[in-house]
Amino acid sequence: MSALTSPARRPVRLPRPGTLVALLLGVVYLVPLLWIVLTALKSDEVIASQPNAIVFTPSLSTFSDILEVASTSVWTSFRVAAAVTVLVLAVAVPAAYALGRRTGPWWARVVAWVLALFLVLQMVPQPMAVIPLYGILAEWQLVNDVWGLVLADVALLAPFAVLLMRPFVLGIPTELYEAAQMDGASGFRTFRSIVLPMLPNGIATVGAIVFIITWGEFIYATTLLTDPAQLPVSGLLAQQTSLYATSWNRLMGLALLTSIPLLVVFLVAKRRLVEGLSVGAVK
Amino acid sequence: MTSTAGVTDSAGGAPPAVAEEPAPGGPGETRRGLPRPHLAAYLVPAVVVCAALGVYPIVQMVRMSVSDVGPATLIADWEFLGAENYREVLDSDTFWPAVRATLVFTGVLLVVDLVIGYVAAAVLARPSRLTSAVLSLMVFVWALPPLVSGSVWKFLLAGDGLVNSTLELVGLPAVDWLSDPDLALWSVSLVAAWASLPFAILIIRGGMLAIPTEVLEAASLDGAGPVRQAVSVVIPLLRPTLAVLTILVVLYAFRSFDFVYVMTSGGPGTVTTTLPFLAYQEAFRTYSFGIGAAIASVLMVVIALLAVPYAWGVRKEESA
Repeated sequence: MSALTSPARRPVRLPRPGTLVALLLGVVYLVPLLWIVLTALKSDEVIASQPNAIVFTPSLSTFSDILEVASTSVWTSFRVAAAVTVLVLAVAVPAAYALGRRTGPWWARVVAWVLALFLVLQMVPQPMAVIPLYGILAEWQLVNDVWGLVLADVALLAPFAVLLMRPFVLGIPTELYEAAQMDGASGFRTFRSIVLPMLPNGIATVGAIVFIITWGEFIYATTLLTDPAQLPVSGLLAQQTSLYATSWNRLMGLALLTSIPLLVVFLVAKRRLVEGLSVGAVK
Repeated sequence: MTSTAGVTDSAGGAPPAVAEEPAPGGPGETRRGLPRPHLAAYLVPAVVVCAALGVYPIVQMVRMSVSDVGPATLIADWEFLGAENYREVLDSDTFWPAVRATLVFTGVLLVVDLVIGYVAAAVLARPSRLTSAVLSLMVFVWALPPLVSGSVWKFLLAGDGLVNSTLELVGLPAVDWLSDPDLALWSVSLVAAWASLPFAILIIRGGMLAIPTEVLEAASLDGAGPVRQAVSVVIPLLRPTLAVLTILVVLYAFRSFDFVYVMTSGGPGTVTTTLPFLAYQEAFRTYSFGIGAAIASVLMVVIALLAVPYAWGVRKEESA
């Protein structure tokens, strides 16, 4: 299975270099996470006197200070991310289905053009796209409205979701379509009762990735939703990095609390993320 | 492949009556419920959303880049300037340092993601409890918002942060990771590379797992050691994957903005001001929207050019 199988027999069983590399990677990725947790458990006094202490009396004072503001933001971000995920899937699954069918040269040309368009759309520098976007949303009275941010994120992520979803559609055997046609199934029935049941894996993978990216997105989030009463998670964190640059326990506490929903999504979708990312990104 | 009957059908947006004609080509294919005219309908929602909120902003951005747009004129009619903004950008003393910073940033990401990514993927492709734990951990870190991973590294690398206190513990001098002009860009680039490495590993690992075991067994029977195998078997087979990954990393680096924003805000001075950050600054700190749009447009052209080999690589990958 492995790419670099070691020779069959070795005289001495030293720890293999591979194990050391894996352990090193583990440390490099675990320490920052631990540091978030440890710092969040430090009270204001501890963080002021010994910011790097590893042994200290843990305190929940930071959490009680930030719980309210954090939960407001988590709720806003949750509504945004859930709505974006649902809408992106609603738009992207049918599109990926259409772009994943191979039905002739004319359609193949349409597919190539639409794919190229989606590819280009993914590359728009977001800090600039946000200016005209702001104008459009202002015209629709959707600035500082959760739905404005939702729309902007849907437009940002729909092309990406289509490109990620398409390989899953391509994986549906053509015999199924032929069978559906023999049965005289209509186009929509083919989609609903043949295609959709074949895609739960793809939908879960793409849905999880869209949720994760929306959660972390911050250029749109900080520009389009600045109402302090409903700051999304990114807006709150960005505000903290500029306002309380030295209040590390507060910032790490917020980072921790606002990442809990991500942890849940991650635990649910872990295996699919590992597989889906390696397949989808290349295709 | 299906017959050409559908070509006229779909082009003319044919009513169902036409679609019920039997196909001249494919045996057994009754043409009832022909999917083709419907297929376009499935695309409509995605295309509408992308046109309204994706294509239109690009058009506006390009228009802005050839106009005089400042804070007072953003909502008014824009005065046409032609190439004036572009000339100003290319002549400014901030543009070329930003190009350099972007290239350094991209270079660091490429080296880390491809070289360390390859070695790590080879290690993590072996199934074991340790490797799957490390892989999960890394994917979780990848999922964290850049604001979170950027902030924690800003803290770790601060003057009195964990990294420096560890250095002092072993008797080494503290280092100004983020405030030394010679170091800041490298520090930010390395943190961005740290955050994108899990993604690179997943892609390379996916490619490695797709290599048939027989190929590797044959190589090992021929007496090829691990390094020989990597150089003469694995890497050549992974070339399409590595090529696509290279382009993805470059695209990511050219758009990357978050880590600069969180960790250094472009400083000290302007040493960590990359092109996307410069465009953002022009637009939102000095409100020179025209200039910002011109920088973004230049960036977009470069990105679009890079996307051509990507699209080409994907097509090859798919037909392979």
